[in-house]
Amino acid sequence: MTAPVNFLSSVWTIAIYTWREGIRKKVLIGFLILSILVLFGAQFMTAFLTVPRSAGELETSIDVQLKMVKDICVTVISIFGALIAIFISASVVPSEIENKVVYTVLSKPIRRFQYLIGKFLGVQFIIIVNLALMAGLFFVALWVKEGVLPTLLLWSALLTYFEFLIVSSFTFAVSCACTSAVVPTILGLFIYITGNLTEYLKDVERRSGQTALWLDEWTGKLARWLYLTLPNLKHFSLKTQILFLEPNDPPRDVQMMALVIYALVYALAGYIIAYWVFRRREM
Amino acid sequence: MSAVIETEALTKVYEGAVKGQDVHALTNLSIKVDEKEIFGYLGPNGSGKTTTIKLLLGLIFPTAGRMKILGSPDIGARAVRTNIGYLPEGAYYPEFLKGEEVLSFYGHLYGMTGRDLKTRIDRVLDVVGMSRARKRTVRGYSKGMRQRIGLAQALLSDPQILILDEPTTGLDPIARKEIRDILASLRDQGKTLLISSHELLEVELISDRVGILSEGELQACGKLTDLLSDRDTEIEVSGATPDALTRLAEAGIRVGDQVDTKASLRVPGEVPLYTAIERCKAEKLALVSVSPQRETLEEFFVRIIGEDEEKRRTSQ
Ligand SMILES: Nc1ncnc2c1ncn2[C@@H]1O[C@H](COP(=O)(O)OP(=O)(O)OP(=O)(O)O)[C@@H](O)[C@H]1O
Ligand SMILES: [Mg+2]
Repeated sequence: MTAPVNFLSSVWTIAIYTWREGIRKKVLIGFLILSILVLFGAQFMTAFLTVPRSAGELETSIDVQLKMVKDICVTVISIFGALIAIFISASVVPSEIENKVVYTVLSKPIRRFQYLIGKFLGVQFIIIVNLALMAGLFFVALWVKEGVLPTLLLWSALLTYFEFLIVSSFTFAVSCACTSAVVPTILGLFIYITGNLTEYLKDVERRSGQTALWLDEWTGKLARWLYLTLPNLKHFSLKTQILFLEPNDPPRDVQMMALVIYALVYALAGYIIAYWVFRRREM
Repeated sequence: MSAVIETEALTKVYEGAVKGQDVHALTNLSIKVDEKEIFGYLGPNGSGKTTTIKLLLGLIFPTAGRMKILGSPDIGARAVRTNIGYLPEGAYYPEFLKGEEVLSFYGHLYGMTGRDLKTRIDRVLDVVGMSRARKRTVRGYSKGMRQRIGLAQALLSDPQILILDEPTTGLDPIARKEIRDILASLRDQGKTLLISSHELLEVELISDRVGILSEGELQACGKLTDLLSDRDTEIEVSGATPDALTRLAEAGIRVGDQVDTKASLRVPGEVPLYTAIERCKAEKLALVSVSPQRETLEEFFVRIIGEDEEKRRTSQ
């Protein structure tokens, strides 16, 4: 009975500590404030864009404005959320090794995989709270503007979290092999960006091989390989639906469950790699 | 007496980025630390003290050899870890936490909670003399305070073994004395202490046994009384005349400082002490004091390390 309790309580202690330390990072706070400013700014900015001349024009212009606000907000939440997720996932383990607190922590009755789970959970708390703050703000703003509960947004936020989970677990795994946050941050950004562009990779593959040059052929192979291994993060975006459906419509044409499982599998793989790297790491 | 910490042919090679740049930090180290003793672990900078300690705590992994702590080869086992308090070299603790929060964090890692944890925190803060600074954040701590909070976290679980990497480095003389007193009282409570240091005087004051390391190899290990040879004896006499002193000098007794008719004589190891005293009696000198002059740990250390370096030079 006490063994699993001890196991969980150590993991929990590390997670809470990671959370408390993480939310103090200046970069993270900076990103969050910036994104909230943009979210607010978007609400006002569009009001100055066009001056309507007739009632019909007024209606369409309001519609256009609203779409624009939505577009900006969804994009900002995705980009800033991803930046925060990548930054925090990349830094918790290297910074603790660098400031040497890891010596006293790992010499306590705690195994390395517990420590890593705790760290990973702490990172997820930060990502979730941060996403909830941004999406919550947007939710309230839309609700006030449109007068209906924008439930579609909740679905979107949920999927966005699972997108971040994929990026975060990959970044975290890389960070477990690194002595600073620089390399994992760069690779995390790479995954986030290319993961959102995998459709292009398919395009690249299709167009390659038209000349007989080896470079051309290899580019195609590389594109194909990246297409197959990289997660397709575009699937996790409900942006077009938020723009064109009613705010309280259910999401259409997305297999929620499949995407969640897809993300969880990536996250599990990320954790296993992280542990495999960290298990024999010398402090 | 049973060994609490035991290493057998423990070897650690840090692999360099390039072949041939490997660092042989520790070679075939076999030591035993017995129950209820203070073991002073000595060696010059870079001799492998911290490496040994990190190996014992599972922070790094041996290239070869075995370790046992409390008889268990699984040095990461819960039962083992709960019984080790570790103070790392240099004091690094979560900067943003208050002193008591630091202890609460580590306490939770030991699985301590609630009232137990709270009374234990009060107790260790009291032991290390940090009760008044408990509400301040670590960021604002001085070096000495960090070292004390470090010692406090090492004591949290009331462990049987304490492994302290340079516990008094960077502290003022009064703080050193205080820490030394704390360590001695811990030993008196029946704890086993492994203390690495290069503060030889200090180690000499509190250690029961010492091990001396040079370039990753153990050069000497044992009780201080066994290692340090009793070499000379100093005899103080009064009523000395220059003639008497000359005659004593001819008998192989070295004459030291003289004040009026008082003189201090040094009897080297090869002259039997009894003979020397007989001669003093014959010269009608009054004995003031007789005291053995033991080699200091520092002299011993310098000699051992010097011999080792000499050996390395000649073997090259
Ligand atoms: N992570 C590492 N990678 C490579 N070499 C290392 C590493 N850590 C220590 N060393 C080397 O191992 C040797 C022993 O170092 P160690 O830190 O154990 O010495 P020490 O006895 O604790 O010295 P000090 O008294 O200065 O603390 C040194 O030559 C050091 O340069
Ligand atoms: Mg050291």
